[in-house]
Amino acid sequence: MPAELRELVQEAQARWTSRVGLSLDGADGTACQMECEPSELPEICNWLFSDRHYSFGGLVVEQRTRWELRYAFYGSEASWVHVVTYLSDAGDRFPSISGLVHAADWHEREAEDLFGLVFEGHPRLGDFVLHNDVWQDGVTPMRKTFDGRKPVTHRAPDLNWKPRRIVEETGAFAMPVGPVHSTATAPVYFQLETVGEDVIRAQPRLFYAYRGLEKIAEGRRADDVLLIAERISGTSAFAHSLALCQGVERLCHVEVPQRAASLRVFLAELERLRHHVAAIAGVCESTGLAVAAAHAAILEEDLLRISGSLTGHRYLFGLNAFGGLSTDFDDAACGRGAAAVAQVAEKLTVLQGMLSASSSFLDRLEEVGIVSFANARDFGLVGPIARASGLSRDLRKAQPYCGYDAIKFEVPQESEGDGYARLRLLFREAEQSARIVSAITRDLPAGRFRIPETDLRQGAALGWVEAPGGAALHWIRLGEEGRVERYRIITPSFANWHGFRLAAESFAFQDFPIILATFALSVHENDR
Amino acid sequence: MGALLIAVLALCGVGVILPLTIEERRIPEIVAWLGSIASIVLLWFSAAALFAGAPFHATLWSIPSLATLTLSLDRLSALFLFISGLVLLPGSIFAGGNLRRYIGRYGLSTFSVPYFALFATIVLIPLSADAVSFLMLWELMSILIYLLVNYEDEADEHTRSGYLMLAVGEAGTLLIALGFIVLANNGSLEFIAMKASGATLGEDARWAVFLLAFFGFGVKAGLIPVNFWLPQAYTSAPAAFVPIFAGATLNLGLYGIVRLNGDLLPVSLVGSGLVALIIGSVTALLGILYATTQSDLKTLLAHSSIENAGIITAALGAGFVFIASGHPPIAAIAFAAAFYHMANHSIYKALLFFATGAVDSNVGTRNIDQLGALIKVMPFTALFFLVGALSIAALPPFNGFVSEWLTLQTMLQSAALASSGVKIVFALCGAILALTAALAVTCFVKAFAMSFLGMARSDEATQARSAQKSATAPMAFMAVLCFLLGVTPTYVIPVLDGAIAPIAEQARAADALVPPFFSGNVYHRELPPAFVADFHALGAEVGQTVIPGRGLVVLHRGGTANPVVFAMSTAYMAVVLALMLLAAYVVFRLIVARRRVVLRRTVWDGGIRSLLPEMTYTGTGFSNPVRVIFEAVFRPTTVEDSRETVGKHFRAAIRRTRGENHVLDRLVLNPIADGALWVSNGFARMHHGFLNAYVLYGLGALLVALLIARFS
Amino acid sequence: MSQWVIRGLRTGVKSTRYPRVEETAAGTSPGLPVSTALSSDLAQSLVAHCPVDALHPSITGVDVSLRQCIHCFRCVRATNNPMDWKGGYEWATAASDRNEKGTRFGPAFSRSVHILVVDAGDCGACLNEVKQLNNPYYNMHRLGFFLTPTPRHADVLLVVGALTDHMRLPLRKAYDAMPTPKRVVAAGACALSGGIFGQSFMCAGGVGEFLPVDVEVPGNPPPPLAILHGLLVAVGRKPTAGSHHGPGGPAENGSG
Repeated sequence: MPAELRELVQEAQARWTSRVGLSLDGADGTACQMECEPSELPEICNWLFSDRHYSFGGLVVEQRTRWELRYAFYGSEASWVHVVTYLSDAGDRFPSISGLVHAADWHEREAEDLFGLVFEGHPRLGDFVLHNDVWQDGVTPMRKTFDGRKPVTHRAPDLNWKPRRIVEETGAFAMPVGPVHSTATAPVYFQLETVGEDVIRAQPRLFYAYRGLEKIAEGRRADDVLLIAERISGTSAFAHSLALCQGVERLCHVEVPQRAASLRVFLAELERLRHHVAAIAGVCESTGLAVAAAHAAILEEDLLRISGSLTGHRYLFGLNAFGGLSTDFDDAACGRGAAAVAQVAEKLTVLQGMLSASSSFLDRLEEVGIVSFANARDFGLVGPIARASGLSRDLRKAQPYCGYDAIKFEVPQESEGDGYARLRLLFREAEQSARIVSAITRDLPAGRFRIPETDLRQGAALGWVEAPGGAALHWIRLGEEGRVERYRIITPSFANWHGFRLAAESFAFQDFPIILATFALSVHENDR
Repeated sequence: MGALLIAVLALCGVGVILPLTIEERRIPEIVAWLGSIASIVLLWFSAAALFAGAPFHATLWSIPSLATLTLSLDRLSALFLFISGLVLLPGSIFAGGNLRRYIGRYGLSTFSVPYFALFATIVLIPLSADAVSFLMLWELMSILIYLLVNYEDEADEHTRSGYLMLAVGEAGTLLIALGFIVLANNGSLEFIAMKASGATLGEDARWAVFLLAFFGFGVKAGLIPVNFWLPQAYTSAPAAFVPIFAGATLNLGLYGIVRLNGDLLPVSLVGSGLVALIIGSVTALLGILYATTQSDLKTLLAHSSIENAGIITAALGAGFVFIASGHPPIAAIAFAAAFYHMANHSIYKALLFFATGAVDSNVGTRNIDQLGALIKVMPFTALFFLVGALSIAALPPFNGFVSEWLTLQTMLQSAALASSGVKIVFALCGAILALTAALAVTCFVKAFAMSFLGMARSDEATQARSAQKSATAPMAFMAVLCFLLGVTPTYVIPVLDGAIAPIAEQARAADALVPPFFSGNVYHRELPPAFVADFHALGAEVGQTVIPGRGLVVLHRGGTANPVVFAMSTAYMAVVLALMLLAAYVVFRLIVARRRVVLRRTVWDGGIRSLLPEMTYTGTGFSNPVRVIFEAVFRPTTVEDSRETVGKHFRAAIRRTRGENHVLDRLVLNPIADGALWVSNGFARMHHGFLNAYVLYGLGALLVALLIARFS
Repeated sequence: MSQWVIRGLRTGVKSTRYPRVEETAAGTSPGLPVSTALSSDLAQSLVAHCPVDALHPSITGVDVSLRQCIHCFRCVRATNNPMDWKGGYEWATAASDRNEKGTRFGPAFSRSVHILVVDAGDCGACLNEVKQLNNPYYNMHRLGFFLTPTPRHADVLLVVGALTDHMRLPLRKAYDAMPTPKRVVAAGACALSGGIFGQSFMCAGGVGEFLPVDVEVPGNPPPPLAILHGLLVAVGRKPTAGSHHGPGGPAENGSG
């Protein structure tokens, strides 16, 4: 048990004597569950978040015999703290923690929309996942009584419905962008409040691509849900399927063979590299630097082809399986793949050098779209976005999995929090990923690539990975016959979209697409 | 001739007296009928002098040992009178219609009495030929304008802006009086005598006369730094009066500058011409900058008047420089540009004020941010406003283009000058004027598009009624004038020549710009035959054969090496534009229309539920980039910038209010006011706060000054 | 800036020569299962592996309905009697039978074509493959294809994604806002059948029920070349592939 966690438990015991049930969980004793009354919830969460500087992972709502709310926090040293509270099914009112733990804002809004729970004290409930112009009040799709297989009849659309506006200034107006906007972009609507030139408030309206994945997973077989996990976000498919696999493996106490773990790292880093290269291409394109964008796009396609020729699928679909991988790869093929990756990494370094010498390009990025460290922490930002603001959180280091603790790599960090810091970070992380890829293929352990048959048990567990965009948490509860009872997907984009406005506001219109590109946000990952 | 003048004055007299004797609701008709008849007579009277050169001279009353009050009409005066007549004719009809909305709220005779008195004053000021009658009429005009500006006296800000205008006007009058005194040089106060005595003045005295007259009249003309009263006064003035305010009385300020500095004491110093040029250019730029960022249509137009006054003054200044450096032919072009632009400004500005007045009375607001889509409910007003906007934005084939083009061409003629310093000033001022012209397009795209196109941003704008005939008819009249003056520069410039000749040492702009060399073979010897043949091939002599006149091409001749300095023809441009439109229409009908499928769909909105008016650009938003780019000028002050939050990060409201101190207030008025306050603390006891007393002080000071001048 | 010019020149030509010459580079396509001859009980056990009902037992073995196939590889990896798997990418079929000539879509699309892409709720992979069409490898501009942000300029509507509830209105508005004549290309298993998402309270199970789809491009995601083939089919510059519709598919009665 880590010293950090032991000390935390002692302090909690001292502070909330007999009011908080403490139990240690997990085979390795790295997770702690604190059970408390709803009324204690804000204080405990605030203590963890603000005083102890634990990161807020996410909120898992479960409707079992009673409501079960699980607030997952993680520290910087292999330790999870789950704050759990219960409420009888009859009541549906909880205190909101968002006033103190702002990172929980969107989690509470989502739970309110989908479960019909009321978070008292939350100032912004409604019109989140389910859009208020057609969804009537009282439709709560995530409740067990709701049949997710049937289409829903909406009320007549309210033609005068509009998102809330808060800017009060002479001549202010709301510039609508989307949901169908630009060329080949994911559906998202931005309401940019402005008086011209500067964006005063940038509120994204998301969930146009809400496919109800958490709902449609319920009742399905776990291995079919794995296919859904791959399709949360096609561009980080491997990371999400890995998170689910690790959750199920943790639940079923399955030890993944060494070879599978190494290959998983190999593929996960290949995916991270591709994701970052795509993000870099996006940044170059947003600034109108066509040659650089084309070069980055060539590298992205190179990586897609490397993935495709090695694994059969350009986006690494169908590879993860419970207990390992669905197929094995030839060591030599992996070596060839790694060599090709090394070439890509080399060209990427050249590209970075050229970009850092293009002053007109840097002018568009430097001191644009700034997210301060304090804001990044308060909003619970994750991944490269957080690390560019000096918030160094990486689950590969903090909560190692797949043997990442045995791999030598750096977690790069920048402090400025502007567009250029995010771009530099993408380059540096891409370089690290390429290094991991070639290091791991140099001595791939021999052996099985999969445990032949995973015995699915009943129960729940958390799986996590550091997806390319940041921390991804999957809470999986299995019932009888290996069928999924509850599948909660917490994605990095969900956290980072929440904080996107921090960067976009008070900058000019023409900076907006650039700031958006430096965030490299995935709408699909957010919407699920 | 005298009979016509007496008729005008008599009609004005009837206009003053009659409304006092009849019932209120008949007054609008009286204003419209009497005003338009008087205007027609005035047009006749001035046209006779302007076109036919019929002179007029009358000695009214001799004040012993001071001056003989005389009225005299030369072509310069006639030009101003004619322009005034062009504005007063539709202006009176519009005023009559517009006054109806005041019935029951304000006494209409309090409008009509000063209106007709002002009418007479406007007629008499250009006629007066001695300093005493001129100053008395000038003073009378100030007071009458004050009464009209303050007509809607229930609003305090109207009274305040009236007072400010009156105070600045008095200061201006004082400067003018001093200018006359210096010019008279202990001689008679009649203009003829002054002209003679002026010739003997030394350089210092010439500077003094120039500066006193320039800034004294600059108050009425709206020049920096003495124009801070103007936007407020224009905004406060009732819609029925403001077209005349901008179209006729502003010109009188320019008239004063021309009469004193051009006619009585012709500018002989390059420096004073440069002062006019620089002041004019900067006035134009500041005017258009502030115009662009306004959201009240009327205030926007007021600032735009400042801009136009600046352009006119810059052209005058350029003319002064050319006169002083011995280039009367180029000076004549500059003066032609100035007078042309003045006439144009009077016409399109009156048109735009008519349209704004119609919008104000039919919608209930002039705030661009609350307008939008008015073209649907007020189609004619929209059409005429568009013509006015195109004219003022200097786009062909309308009149603003011709005069701004001539002005900018004049700036390029600085090559003729010797001093490189002066050339640099010309280049800079030319650049400023070019920037002004570009911003004017932005400004009037905003004024038109944000008010008349797009979606209605308020219920009032959706429910507005169409404008009355008494409003659309004057607009139509002015719109036709905008077009005619735009396509017939070769006919307008010779008319202007009558007014230009006396101040440009008898040089004629027509000779320089519209030579009749395409017919009669008179000038063919001066130009290469091939060149002339080319122009014949282009149809440059069409005017000569089709309609009587001088061809349709404005062409500035140079030497043999460079036969054409510049040339253009708005008439041909209009024809080409029309042909292109026609061709496009024909192509569309013949080729495209045969296999077209017409789908009527709403604006593509990105797929949101419905596009609401609040999701479209506001006027403020449209012009905000200008505000941001020129922040050094605007120097916005943050009055309020507050964020209401729930907890730390939930925002309930972002409130911002931006304030602005006009750059002149900041740099000129406030320091002066602070200094004056400091000084006046010492004199505090002398002051008892009655405006009348201050006016009396002003008049007293004037009389004292005149007496000193007479007896010293 | 000259460094970029030099760099660009030194990179050389990357573009594929498809459609004139077949593209053979590795990793450009995941391939698709093809109908396989198997004994009937082996066929039954193989069909059970498919999570999306893409496999159907037939008289000779197993038939594949490509509209459903999501590239899960279970029918090739999880069994000893795998389905036959075939590379290639010319998968697009003209589903519409409005045009009796089959492949020709008329002269309206013979010149440059502007394409509006609407993501109606996919996982991001299909959308990313569409984006790849603009990279130097595929460079769709050379074929006269341009992406446009507004339906007003669009000739072809390229839809990806399972059509979520929230995207119905934007998709309908985009389609309505396009001038005629217009073509709809649905790319990806989700857009064709709902894919793994199927039919639910949020997903319509494909856009075919909602819009008249002219060309269907199977794949999960369809690789860029498959989408390119779909566009070429849509404008009548490539013949349609054989029917991919298994039993119950809308094209059962005739076309392809």
